[in-house]
Amino acid sequence: MSKDKEIKMITVTIDGKVCQAPYGKTILQIARENGIYIPTMCYLTKVKPIASCRMCVVEIAGVEGMILSCQEVATDGIEVTTNTPQLYTQRQNIMKLYDVNHPLECGVCDKSGECDLQNKTLEFNVATQNFTTREPHRAVENWGFISYDPALCIMCEKCVHVCNEIVGDESLAISVGGYKSTIVNKNLDDGCHECGECMSVCPVGALVSTHFKYSSNAWELTKIPAACSHCSSGCELSYEVKQDKIYRVTNNYEFSSLCGAGRFGYDFENRTNGKDEIDFNNALDAFAKADTIRFSATISNEEALILQRLKEAKGYKLVCDEAKGYQDFLKAYSRISGKSLYGGDLATIKSSKVIVVFGSRVDSDNPMVKYAISTASKHHRARVMYMHPIEDTNLSNIVTQYIKYEVGSEEGVAALLAHALVDRDNLDEDTKVFLDNLDIGNLSAESNVGEEEIDTLVQSLSKRKDFTLVVGADLYSHPRVENIAKLIALIEKHGSFDVVAIPPATNALGVALICELDNQVGDYTIGYNSRGDFTLSALGEGDLDMPSLNQQEGTFTTINKQVVPTNAALEYKGYVLNDIASTLGVKREYTIDYTQELPIDKGYQGVAFDDLKVDFGINGEDLRGYRLQTQGVDSDSILEEIAPLPTYDGLVLYRANAINQFSPFTHKAKELQSQEFLRGSSQFALAAKISDGDEVKFELDGVKYTRVFKIDTSMKGTVAINPTNDKGLSSTLVSSYRYAKLILDVQNK
Amino acid sequence: MSLEKFKDRNIGNQNYTLIGHEAFPQTSGEKFERVMKRMLKGELFVGLWVTLRTMFQALFKGEMHTTKYPFEKLPISPRYRAIHEMLRLLESGHYRCIGCGLCEQICISDCIRMDTRYDENQRKEVSEYTINFGRCIFCGYCAEVCPELAIVHGPRYETSSEQRASFSLFEDMLTPIDALKQQKEYPGFGAISPNADENIKKTPLAY
Ligand code: SF4
Ligand code: SF4
Ligand code: SF4
Ligand code: SF4
Ligand code: SF4
Ligand code: FES
Repeated sequence: MSKDKEIKMITVTIDGKVCQAPYGKTILQIARENGIYIPTMCYLTKVKPIASCRMCVVEIAGVEGMILSCQEVATDGIEVTTNTPQLYTQRQNIMKLYDVNHPLECGVCDKSGECDLQNKTLEFNVATQNFTTREPHRAVENWGFISYDPALCIMCEKCVHVCNEIVGDESLAISVGGYKSTIVNKNLDDGCHECGECMSVCPVGALVSTHFKYSSNAWELTKIPAACSHCSSGCELSYEVKQDKIYRVTNNYEFSSLCGAGRFGYDFENRTNGKDEIDFNNALDAFAKADTIRFSATISNEEALILQRLKEAKGYKLVCDEAKGYQDFLKAYSRISGKSLYGGDLATIKSSKVIVVFGSRVDSDNPMVKYAISTASKHHRARVMYMHPIEDTNLSNIVTQYIKYEVGSEEGVAALLAHALVDRDNLDEDTKVFLDNLDIGNLSAESNVGEEEIDTLVQSLSKRKDFTLVVGADLYSHPRVENIAKLIALIEKHGSFDVVAIPPATNALGVALICELDNQVGDYTIGYNSRGDFTLSALGEGDLDMPSLNQQEGTFTTINKQVVPTNAALEYKGYVLNDIASTLGVKREYTIDYTQELPIDKGYQGVAFDDLKVDFGINGEDLRGYRLQTQGVDSDSILEEIAPLPTYDGLVLYRANAINQFSPFTHKAKELQSQEFLRGSSQFALAAKISDGDEVKFELDGVKYTRVFKIDTSMKGTVAINPTNDKGLSSTLVSSYRYAKLILDVQNK
Repeated sequence: MSLEKFKDRNIGNQNYTLIGHEAFPQTSGEKFERVMKRMLKGELFVGLWVTLRTMFQALFKGEMHTTKYPFEKLPISPRYRAIHEMLRLLESGHYRCIGCGLCEQICISDCIRMDTRYDENQRKEVSEYTINFGRCIFCGYCAEVCPELAIVHGPRYETSSEQRASFSLFEDMLTPIDALKQQKEYPGFGAISPNADENIKKTPLAY
């Protein structure tokens, strides 16, 4: 199927400079790559050319008129001029039109100092206003986290394009009306994820953060480059700080994106007054007694390494419920695929033509995966197959085929997929026999995945290339995780799919690679951001305070198999894990001294923290830190017979957090604070004999829940969604399968 | 001039002239004579009389020649730069400051600190504003940068304080609302130029 051609190189002369570029790039892209400036107002690298501003006009020798460089693909041999008196006048006139009736409120505007309109008005020397038009009344609108001021909007349409192409929400639209045109949010009540992507790309002060509005000027804030610590994407962001307080989060919006949690969940720091020696000494006593350290995967690589070193030195058991299943998955996967790491990443998803999502509620598990899928869908109409027991209506405009399977039947579904997708040509005899002997009819019946559904999926692959299989946390917590992982590995190895295994928590990949995890806790447990007999907590509710991840330097290992650095935005005065470890004999001066000691045999590169970059390339390549090197592993394993598929009749709970919620840290952030509900369909309500607003009690993984039940009209079936992020230190106790049979204790209405 | 000459600090060769004076008394008789002469001549009272006469004229004839500070103060130039004032809009009485933060940013002694927030009327409201007069050097930059003619210098020049830091709050500097009528424009740093009207270009309006 592959028809990769040699990409043709072309030569373009821009302002006398001879530039080489592969065919397919626009004039603007080539100019930017070669450091030639062409002014733009509506161009945004990460979306398709919008072509609404006409500022990017250039002249091409021998071509009549002015050409929009942002959307014109360069052809071989053209001679481009980017600046002539006519072009200047043209651009100046555009700026004059933008300035018509524009409120003179730079003095208070949040955007002042980093406003494209301000800058370009000065650049093109528009000192007076010559035209006017009748100004309609335009009221400021409040969209929750975001405020929209139509009077400041210049209708560049960047916001609409990111919402559609990147986020995939399709919430924003243009209300067309000549000069009266505005942007409208169609999905304010439902559908708009309040991710703030529109706000970040707005070149003027039309879309601003409601919470931040008018509280500081852009130039007063110090940018601290960091990585988001809420999920495994580790997105690039800057904490903007003044007087030891984080005012807002911004990012390199030209190339990268954030979800609402990263953008609005920044104030989860743990304020302490100083070093509490009594607590510290208690901690040392506890470490002397303890035989287990149980920790959350919301931790840096360096801390994970400290824990591993403590294990090696003192023999503690390391228990990380969030990462254990993932580690098992990766190990089993490696033993079939022969590689230490899965093949794909977010970029592979973005460029895929077919994406199969299996066992993850991507929208809440990892928003960047959803963004990447939505970009693939919008940019080259990728086919998206979403396989999950619960349909996600948030994805309905990007998913082309929804395949529902029974809760618990993941192993059977993986086998069906392997049977359909694995190319038999280079397969060894045993595996071939294994696949051919699968009882497809039975698996299909048990898992409720119709054979014709699989056929449709297979048909989608024909005449296409670049396939990605995205798998998620439902599989890692499955009792049969190892065999599922092997089947997935088989699909990657012999099925021209790249696999992306979404790490189930911020640094689950780092923990899985760095730590040797144990299954069971012992008699006396130290909990690090997790429950234990003695707890170290960055949530401020434990026995010894620890810094939260916006108060620490360190690195994360992200879904991109990339090691990204993060920096401390706020001061932390108390003790850190390294202080305890140093007292216990695992000595380093600073936590980040461990960065260069991260295990090379796992793919880390031994680079010191201070040598890690935080850059983006000129085309938006994420150059932060470095990529892990995938190691070769002995592929010695064989597939096991498919176990009888378990049945989950009756009421079932699914562990998933609400949009923009990931952990107790997002729950703690002021802007994100919300009450969590048990959400289910009306069918669930009927089966459970409860109604909307009832309080229900139940227990899962030893954690007691009292939740208000809400009917979610977008849901169907008897699986309800139960969030864990508001359970503080207990929210990391997630060792069991992601679905659980529910025994309800219903309270009175 | 060569460096050596320049560095030559030898000052012993100048020609000094001695001012003539009468000869010092030599014998004890001469000394006694000079003491008696000085005592009896009454030179002391010549000087005292001048003082007494002026005192008399000042106290009883109303010919005072000095200001009775601190009860009385000399008029100073309207452009003098002393303790700041925060002006109000004459029409609405609302304070002029829009919270743009430029004064805070430009202040070279870093003595202005302000906080702003979004208020109920969708305006940018100044929630905190202080100037530390222990640090202010009265350079006038803040008044010059202010786009709203909101912060200006007033004539209050007494800034002594018992502490190094002495903070003035926004309300302390703001024109009292009942004194709005007496509020004067400040002609000093940052004021609009006398020919400002000529420089204004009218904005076209469509009604
Ligand atoms: S959007 Fe830009 S030009 Fe308009 S008021 Fe704000 S800072 Fe000024
Ligand atoms: S709100 Fe901002 S990004 Fe959207 S069209 Fe208006 S100016 Fe452009
Ligand atoms: S929560 Fe995840 S997707 Fe959202 S900004 Fe943070 S790292 Fe990115
Ligand atoms: S007068 Fe000068 S030093 Fe004083 S507050 Fe203004 S800018 Fe600062
Ligand atoms: S410069 Fe003027 S308007 Fe701006 S904050 Fe200072 S006093 Fe207020
Ligand atoms: S950048 Fe080309 S039209 Fe706006």
